[in-house]
Formats: sequence, structure tokens, C-alpha cells
Amino acid sequence: MKRVLVMLLIASLSFALFAQGASEAPKAQQEIRVLLANHPYGELLKTKIPEFEAQSGIKVNFESLQESQLTQKLTTEFATGSSTVDVFMTRPLQEGLLFIKNGWYAPLDTYDFADYPSNSVDIGRKGNSAFIVPLITEWQVMYYRKDLFAQAGLKVPTNFTELEAAAKALTKDGVAGFGSRGKGAAAVTQLSSYIYNYGGLYLDKNVAVFDSPEALEAIRFYGRLLGTYGPQGVASMSWENLMPVFQTGKLAMWTDASVFYDQVVDQTKTAIPAANVGVAQLPKGPKGDSPFIVVSWGMGMSSKSKNPDAAMQFLSWATSKEMAVEAMLKNIPMARNSAWANADVRAKMHPGLIETQAHAAKNGYPYDRPFMSAVGQARDLIGEVIIESINTKGTSTKLPALAAEKAKAVNDLLKADGEYGGN
Amino acid sequence: MKQSLRFRIGFPLLVLIIIIPMIFPFLWMFMSAFKTQVDIISWPPKFLFSPTMVNFNKVFNEQNFLLYLKNSMIVGVGSVAISLLLGLPAAYSIARFHQKRLSVMILIARLMPGISFLMPWYIVFSRLGLMDSYTALILSHILIALPVVVWIMSSYFESVPLEMEESAMVDGATMQRAFVSIILPLSVPGIVTATTLSFIFSWNNFMFSQVLSMEKTRTLPIAVYNFMSYAEVDWGGVMAAAVAIMTPAIILTMVFQKYVVKGLTMGAVKG
Repeated sequence: MKRVLVMLLIASLSFALFAQGASEAPKAQQEIRVLLANHPYGELLKTKIPEFEAQSGIKVNFESLQESQLTQKLTTEFATGSSTVDVFMTRPLQEGLLFIKNGWYAPLDTYDFADYPSNSVDIGRKGNSAFIVPLITEWQVMYYRKDLFAQAGLKVPTNFTELEAAAKALTKDGVAGFGSRGKGAAAVTQLSSYIYNYGGLYLDKNVAVFDSPEALEAIRFYGRLLGTYGPQGVASMSWENLMPVFQTGKLAMWTDASVFYDQVVDQTKTAIPAANVGVAQLPKGPKGDSPFIVVSWGMGMSSKSKNPDAAMQFLSWATSKEMAVEAMLKNIPMARNSAWANADVRAKMHPGLIETQAHAAKNGYPYDRPFMSAVGQARDLIGEVIIESINTKGTSTKLPALAAEKAKAVNDLLKADGEYGGN
Repeated sequence: MKQSLRFRIGFPLLVLIIIIPMIFPFLWMFMSAFKTQVDIISWPPKFLFSPTMVNFNKVFNEQNFLLYLKNSMIVGVGSVAISLLLGLPAAYSIARFHQKRLSVMILIARLMPGISFLMPWYIVFSRLGLMDSYTALILSHILIALPVVVWIMSSYFESVPLEMEESAMVDGATMQRAFVSIILPLSVPGIVTATTLSFIFSWNNFMFSQVLSMEKTRTLPIAVYNFMSYAEVDWGGVMAAAVAIMTPAIILTMVFQKYVVKGLTMGAVKG
């Protein structure tokens, strides 16, 4: 009896709590809530937001978060259906599909996408609507040590054969010849360009094909290079481990995303003189020359926004041409075509970045990972194949079977999400 | 004599072997907080370097660290105070009337993955307009603090002889009076233990604050991530922030250490 009473008491108390929530008074001044990432672009926006507020009379409540926290927070808030977020930064390749499928982005039918490369907009498109404004791009490059190349009398490699020869020649005196991410899931994005250059793909028409002979050859090559010439423990290294190795001068070549350029030459963060650091395009493979070039960040609007007009106004301002140029002048590579054509930008930005971007924009492939809702799980699965290849220096006899097994598992994930096959 | 010499050399050596693995990460963190980025990544590691205050400057001047510190304090103190208020009588009742099932239920609440509470909380708090408020954070942190209080204190109360209470009641005190005037004063070491531990758990909690707090109520563990951005980790900043976060917790623990050990063993032996 007592228990029943207690339950009733709890129930009635919680009812009272809910009832109170329903009678909330609407606010007078227009206010929006914006979630930014800890990213140089987010930092730039923060300094400019007061200007926007003065100009528009809209109050902007913003907070910035580290990217995985941002994803978790957005997911939690949207999943409960009571999010108060209006505009947010988002990673199209990581969460875009899932968010679109769940209807969390508002369609951006009035936004003018003419200034963007069409394949960058297509990633955030479903049906006739686009949902994500592409903001920031990155592409794969090769950082190398000019001084070490000069000492060894070597030229910068332009194909994979030369790359392997250079890695061999430069591995000496405690310096590793070649480095790239080896840590399973994290390595998936960096391996992608190698697979493309060998003529393979992760997904072909939404079917996992990374067990094809071409892809396997690429995985073996990647594993051989890293296993033989990579820094010690490379199979557990991601960018945050490899960058210090390069910055302390223990790595001659490093292939990773263009986004690290600033930190590699910043003299407060690196022990090697900036003049000794070169940046080149990823060498060609036997069957292709397509480094990835992806939209690493975009901006979206919540479909639950209570202030869609104010939110749209903010979105248009934050992704405007002028803002893109400002960002480019801070070495943040933007997706807008006009920003790359801007004369001030071309004069100020590092020529290595401009050249490699031009090459990637022309030849590159717009995905650096399997583009699917369960991308996290798929990356873990592919990661196991990569680690097996690195640990055996690319010689593992189990590799084809392992890759086939993981490809099947990725296909199962695709099927479970209703994304298998089709276009 | 021979054995004693061996002991005199061997014992400190053994202590060192045990202590070094524990103390080294702290030492490393502490040193890195005073290093530049270049010194932090240098190989072989530098043990002699010219210290810099750049990292602490970033923590306290460029970031709103004092605000985060205040937030963590308010949330920690608030949730622990409420947990004591509710938890002490609960623990007493569990101890005296052997309500084992109730105590197991409280433990289950603690054992459940915290993330399973987050969605309902988010819905409730956002409907109530309590997002970004101390109320929401304190209420959520009670889930962390209350079970600790109840579990430590119920075994502690069991160790207080029943006769104490009975003699008070013979003298005319009610059970409530006996609890407040006799049992509680006798249990100070246990209460201090429970307070310290639950405060530290709340202080370090990341998940609840991450979802339920926003810019105004952001707590310290979340703020550490301000130094990690896309494609860049400011290790010096992270280390300096970690030092700043740990210092209050370490001081608190050092001050109350003897109680903590006593309180824990009391519970362990007699519980």
C-alpha cells in the first residue's frame, strides 16, 4: 500500500513539473542559438558575431565545442526532438547522411549555391533539396623535408614507385622515410587516395568494394610503406601522433590532409625551419591521380528552428563571399569558388596550398571515407584490414579473406540502414 | 644487522618502484604545463627547460576559466549538499532497518550507464526552460553524488553501536533527535569521506555537463576540450588546464585524507 502511495506521489509531482513547462511565455527580441566547432573558422566567426548582431538586431547565443562533442550534443538534442539549436557547423561526410535521413537539417531551398563546386553541394543533397552549405575543404597532400631531399640528391616523388624509392633512401639516422596514419579507423581517410590511385574505391554505387584486387593492392602498398619505412608504432598513430614526429624532424615525408600546413611551419610549434618544409601533391598511382578533396565542414540549419528567418539570415551572413575571403586570408581553405579566385588571397596564401588545391579540385575525388550513415562502424571494420597490412608489411596471406569478410560486414551495415545498392 | 641493511636499501627502492609509475604522469603533466609546444614534443624528452607561463596565461586570460571554475564549484557544492541532506537519513534508515533492496536500487541507478539518463533529462529540462541553468546541472549531478553518500554512510552507520542510540532514547530523545544529536556527530569521519568522494566525482563528471550545460554554465572538464580543436591539439593548454582543475581536488583530498582512509576502512570492515 505504502509503495502505491509513493508511486502516486512521484507521478503527481512529475506531472506538475511538466505542466509548468508548457506555459512558457514567448520572448520578444529575436534570438538564435548557434553551435560552432573549435575550428579556426569558428574562431573567426566569434570575433565577427557582434557586427552581425549590431547590423541585424538578432541576438546570437553561441557556444563552441570540440568536434566529437559537437556531434554528440547535436545528436542528443535532435534525437529528443526538443533541441533549441538554430544554426550549427556540421561535418557532411561524418554525420550528413544520418542527419538528412532523420530530417534534422532544414532544406535550404532559397540559398544560392551557384558559387560552390556542384559535387560539394551534392554531398548534402537529397531529392531536390540541398541541406548543407559547404564551408571548408581539405585535400590530401604530401609534406616533405626539402633539406633531407637535397642531402640525398632526390627529387620530390611524382609516382608511387618513386615514393617507395625515396622512402627507402630517406630512412636513416633515426629518421623515418615515410609516415601516414596507421591507426585503423583514423587511417581510412588517408588510405582513400591510395586506393583511388590504384583504381579502387571503398564503395561503388553503395556496395562495398574495398576487397577488389585494385583496392587490395593499394592496401598492401600502404602497409608495405608504413610497415617498412614508417616510424615505430605507426600502426597506432593518427595525425596527432604523426605531426609531432614530423615537427621534431624525425620524418622525411608525411601524407595527410592539407589542414595541417599551418602547424607544420609555425615556428612556435615546430622544431624544423619553415624553409625546410615543402608541400606537394600526392604522387600518382599506377591507375589514377585522384587525391581526395572533401568538404570537411559545412553549415546547416535545424529543421526545428523556431526562428527560421533569423537563422537563415545568420547562415547567409556566416557563409557569405566576404566571410570566405576573410577566412582564406587566414589560410582557411574555403569551398566557395570565388574565394579561390580572389587576387588578395592568391597573393597571400602559400603557393604549395594553391597548387595542390588546383590539382585536387581538377582531378580529385570528393569522398575520403565510405559515405554512409554507419560510417563510424565501417571505418572500424576497414581499419582492421589496414592494421593487418601494416603489421605484415603488406605481405599477409590472410588479407584478401579479411578484406572480403569486412566488405561483407560493411554491406550488411548498408543493408540495415536501407542504403545498399542503387545510385 | 645484515638483514636490516638490506631492508634499509630495499624498502625505499621498492617504494620508488611502486611510486614512479603512479607519479610520473602527474609529473609529466605538471612539467608540460610550463613548456612551449616545441619543448613538449621534443625528442628525447626535455627534463631541463626554461619554463613559460604562456599556457597558464591562455587558461586564465584568454579562456573564461574562472567562470568555469565557479560553475564547477556551484554544481559540486550544490549537488553534494543536497545529496547529504537526502542521503544521510536514507543511509541511516537503510542501516537501521536493513532495507537491502532499497540500497540495491540506489546502486543500480549508479551502475546504469549515465548516457541512458541524458535523453529524458534533456527533454524534461528543455521543456522546463532549465537548459543552461545550475538547477539542471545540480539535479543531474545528484545522481552521481547521492549513491556514493548512501553507500558509504549506510555501512558507516551500521558500525555505530545501537546502544548509543538506545541510551539516548532512554533519556527521552526521539529517534530523529538521536540521529541528529548522537549518530551524526559520531559519524563525522564517514561524512567527510562521503563528501570528498562525491564532490570529486561531481567535479570530474564530463558527460552530464556536456549535454546539459551551455556557455554560461560550462564546467571545467568540458573546458579542457577548448584546447582541442579540429586538427590541432594545444597540449600545453590542455596540461595547464588539467593542472588548474586538479589543484582544488588535490588540496581537498590532502586536507581530508586521514578521514577518507578512516571512513573507507570503517565501512569496509564493518559493512
